[in-house]
Amino acid sequence: MRKDGRLEIKLGIENRSKERVSLGMQVTVELFGIPRARAGVAWTVANGSTLGDVFLDLAKRFPDLGEACLQGRFLKDGYTANLRGEQFVTDPAIHLNEGDSILLLSLDAGG
Amino acid sequence: MKGTQSCSCRWTRAAKFKGPRAEKNSLMHPIFGYHGRYLRVDLSTGLSTEILLETQLLREYLGGSGLGVALMLKEGAAALNPLAPEAVLAFVFSPLVGSPLTTSAKFAVVSKSPLTERLNDSLASSGFALAGKKTGYDAIVLVGRAEKLSILLIDEHRVRLESAEDLVGFSNRKTQENLLRRFGPEFQTATIGPAGERLVPYATISHDGRHAGRGGSGAVLGSKNIKAIAVRGTRRVAWASPPALMSLAKKLSKKSFGPATAKYRELGTASNLLMFNRLNVLPTRNFQQGSFENAAAISPEELNVTRDRTRSSCAACTIGCEHLYSLKSGDGSVRLEYENLFALGPLCGIDNAEIVLEATRRCDDAGIDTISAGGTIGFAMECAERGLLDAPWLRFGDGNALLRSLDSIVSGKEIGPLLAMGSRRMAMEIGQDSIRFAPQVKGLELPGYDPRGLQMMALGFAVSTRGADHNRSGAYEVDFSEAVDRRNVGPESAHLAVETEDKAALMDSLILCKFLRGIFADLFEESAEILSLVTGWEVTAKELRATAQRIVTAKKRFNILAGWTPSEDTLPLRMLQNALPEDSESHLSAERLASLIKAYNLARGWSEEGWLPLGQAASLPVG
Repeated sequence: MRKDGRLEIKLGIENRSKERVSLGMQVTVELFGIPRARAGVAWTVANGSTLGDVFLDLAKRFPDLGEACLQGRFLKDGYTANLRGEQFVTDPAIHLNEGDSILLLSLDAGG
Repeated sequence: MKGTQSCSCRWTRAAKFKGPRAEKNSLMHPIFGYHGRYLRVDLSTGLSTEILLETQLLREYLGGSGLGVALMLKEGAAALNPLAPEAVLAFVFSPLVGSPLTTSAKFAVVSKSPLTERLNDSLASSGFALAGKKTGYDAIVLVGRAEKLSILLIDEHRVRLESAEDLVGFSNRKTQENLLRRFGPEFQTATIGPAGERLVPYATISHDGRHAGRGGSGAVLGSKNIKAIAVRGTRRVAWASPPALMSLAKKLSKKSFGPATAKYRELGTASNLLMFNRLNVLPTRNFQQGSFENAAAISPEELNVTRDRTRSSCAACTIGCEHLYSLKSGDGSVRLEYENLFALGPLCGIDNAEIVLEATRRCDDAGIDTISAGGTIGFAMECAERGLLDAPWLRFGDGNALLRSLDSIVSGKEIGPLLAMGSRRMAMEIGQDSIRFAPQVKGLELPGYDPRGLQMMALGFAVSTRGADHNRSGAYEVDFSEAVDRRNVGPESAHLAVETEDKAALMDSLILCKFLRGIFADLFEESAEILSLVTGWEVTAKELRATAQRIVTAKKRFNILAGWTPSEDTLPLRMLQNALPEDSESHLSAERLASLIKAYNLARGWSEEGWLPLGQAASLPVG
């Protein structure tokens, strides 16, 4: 919480240790909707060479996010992911490239 | 009008309706889930007629939108001027209304649209559906025109008119407060605001702060000189298998608390905003862009920490998707949905949350569709900035200009009469090829999904019988999946748009809220179980698939009778000529859209252009 009472969600940059950052390939994960609310950050950097690896890393660091949206290397029903703002992906075996961005979001639109 | 008339009576003021009750349908078989009749009120003559509904018709069209379109075809409404006295307006309930099933307290308002001149079916929720069905009718059909502005009271079998001349110009809020004092809480009311009285073709019908919003049903009610309908009753229907239905309802309610609805429950639909913005599909400044630089300022994530928020839900709903945000003026709170946020925000270039909330409140009070209002004003802003419209004060991003425009629509002053036409008619008035960027399909303004980056939704918009619409076609669900490349959708995927449209037709006819859709593993299979427990019919998923297709075809039939031609199934030229500036991959050519439409029509079993085969047309209800 900031002095003015706002949560840090707007900036949402998570402080990560050098040790953690040095592990494996890094991708940016942008969070929307429930995933953002559970993680408490708008985006973070995660480790993993596959989508499933990234999910495991996220669940370890953001237990509430993991419990609500992830099941091991998979997404729970009601959630989906998008690679680079282009392609929707859910297969945990999908290989990622250094610097990729993954969007994690609630599935349904509408309203 | 064909149908089996059981009894009729002409009202005198407060006269009691007398006549036999039809506890069984005309074949004398008990009907579970239905009353088996509807009430037809001629507001010109005062004649109220109770008309029996055949079991076969109910089974083939269910209720809500489906039964509504069947009644419109039977009434021959397609050929009528939607604002003429003889025009038909139906409030339609469903077999699930009054059941313990979550989100089932819904009703459909069906008519020919004064905005599109095509079929319009808009849905709303809550107590009006419950009380309306308890009057003892599966639908209330209005024809004719009252002599002066009136309230139609349906107190079970008693039908009467009361003067509403003291309510002229009243907002929906004030009207509903007045009627609550006048008639008491047992009556549930559906009202129009001043926009409906002025016959604005995108006026809404409001109940308890919610709206049957799109396509101008409020203008149709206004054209009948009806300010409000008040309903009350005690007649309940029986269910075929009450214990099993209760058990299933409990399971459904439990599932409705799960992850598939968490977004709606915790954040509301407005949480789409930032995600759509990130994907460059957030329509901005009259669809000139797909992202809004200040989206964060009006996002619910921001509003949640700067304003008080309360939650609400419709009657008989366990989701509770409604999120109301306080106005800083201290003047209450406003229900915020993604569609009004996008239409009165980015679409008009507005990044001031207080303005968006105030504009939303003015739309709700006046009874105008926020999507069509924002779409039309955004279009006018672009026309003004291009010098096509002499309104130098009307600029993107100017909150006061937005509020002034909304007020003018309601008052009929200044630019109001032009804005009140909706974007299509306004473009025809302005000329100078402005129609190419008027944000509409069949006259209905586009909701908040840029079709260039969501091309399955583009197909849904183009072919929808209601015009550009996200509720009758949920094709965006396919775009937000691995099934297609949303920026390069091919005709081989057109059947997926058919599937989402059929699902919507089923849910809108049962009726269940679409926010439940994520909890069904197989909507048709599980709906068949629900309907079987309610009605006692041995319904299968296969039958419901056929039912959904029949309902969509009936809507198309209505439109054909109303003058539809294949050239209507398209998108604004801008969207077929210009890629989104933020994303050159988001480009949809006219040729590709045409191939999608052709594939869609063939998947429906229609001609390539979308005409119905003789056999399909012949099997539909006729007047």
